Amino acid sequence: MSHIHIPDGIIGSVWWITGYLIALGIIYFVLRKVEGEEIRRKVPMIGIVTAIMIIGMSVPLGIVPVHLTLAVLSGILIGPGFAFISVFVVNLMLALVAHGGITLVGLNTLIVGTEVLIGYYLFKTLSKKLGQMPSTVIATSIALIISMTMMVTMVGSLAGLRNAMPDFHLHSHEEQLIEEGHEEAIENDESPAAGAKYIFFTGWAAVIMVFVVGNLLESFGTAYIIRFFMKVRPDLIYEKKPKELDENLKIDQ
Amino acid sequence: MHIAEIDQISNTGDSLFHKAKAISKLLLTLFLLTSFIITNDVVKLGALMIIVGLFFFISKVPLGQVGHLIVYPVIFSILFAILRFQQSWILGIIVLQKAVGAAMTMVLLITTTPYVDIFAVFSLFLPKLLVDILLFTYRSLFILIGQIENLVKSIKLRGGYHPYNIIANLKNIGAAIGVMIIHSFEMSDRMYQIYTLRGYKGGIPMTVALWPMKPIDYMIISLGIITLLGTVIPWNL
Repeated sequence: MSHIHIPDGIIGSVWWITGYLIALGIIYFVLRKVEGEEIRRKVPMIGIVTAIMIIGMSVPLGIVPVHLTLAVLSGILIGPGFAFISVFVVNLMLALVAHGGITLVGLNTLIVGTEVLIGYYLFKTLSKKLGQMPSTVIATSIALIISMTMMVTMVGSLAGLRNAMPDFHLHSHEEQLIEEGHEEAIENDESPAAGAKYIFFTGWAAVIMVFVVGNLLESFGTAYIIRFFMKVRPDLIYEKKPKELDENLKIDQ
Repeated sequence: MHIAEIDQISNTGDSLFHKAKAISKLLLTLFLLTSFIITNDVVKLGALMIIVGLFFFISKVPLGQVGHLIVYPVIFSILFAILRFQQSWILGIIVLQKAVGAAMTMVLLITTTPYVDIFAVFSLFLPKLLVDILLFTYRSLFILIGQIENLVKSIKLRGGYHPYNIIANLKNIGAAIGVMIIHSFEMSDRMYQIYTLRGYKGGIPMTVALWPMKPIDYMIISLGIITLLGTVIPWNL
């Protein structure tokens, strides 16, 4: 949900190269940490989860212009380390079909990877006390808010998005007037730009609204999938923890 | 995302570009992308787009089928373009040109080079297991796309999809994805067993034929270098 659809050439080379190096470094670390049979057994599963993430993005949800990414779900299913690799592969494959810049793959992986990590650990912690639905919704929602904040901060600082804020140029104009000692001119300003704060909806508010809708869809979409697993294959969510599973099933009932 | 169509175009095309080696086309992509990234001149960017357009013409890629992929970046870059338009209309156009140009370059690569050949070149510098994951993803995509299409179709036929009832859609699509995941996990176990029987120990062997290069490969690499040089050199016409 929070991956950046920024084309190539907008973010400075230093940043995207650093993004690539960090993302690949984490992937090397994960692959080195899990050696031998375990990683080989997991390779087809990671491939499948990656494919599911890509397919999830192409499933229509109705009239809303957002799609599921299932990043937190992938973390819950295969663990945050492997899910981080999945996220990298998803971004790489999307970039190959021009769905986001190829230079942005590293930075996108770091942002969505953070979402996976936070979502996974929040879910693990919350699901011990709450039912699966509320814990998935809360975990996914918080993970998305954090990753989205990271994305906006990054884009804002690296690509100069601050200029896109509807009131940015208005405030610059006001500051100039104050400097020149024309404070009264601000109060009497009847230019169209002066009304910008009242049509704030056209700027960030619209972005925030799309985010809120997207966040709700991703959180509840993930929660419905988890609920389905709890009915059919709870072992996929709670592998090797039968006692904990029984307790959670009781809570849900 | 039309992955199947792209795959079909890249595998069945018979143009000079399709006959060239993946490494030469990846190098061309690298040079073209670098040119688009470092250039901040409307005319140069326009010239670069014309060059990539010519490559599309030579490669006989059916733009009717894949042209929409070039439109996505226009939509994604529109916010940044508007932002720049506030400063100067030329800056806005540059943002759009860079976005479309880079997208054209990637689409040219992917429609003239099969994914597997690209992954084979990646295997030269990426970890083997990561390349395995890329290959498994690619294989699974084609299996799962068919499954999800059938599931969504049956949901629609049974009245489970309503354009204006998002909650109902989410519940049903969630269950459909759940079914697909369960099937896929079973499939992944089978895949692992089959690959283990064939001697898989991590790292699917891939052939990367870098040498000998054909004249078309030299031509493609030269075109890339010339384009990049033409971008870097200041022109005073």
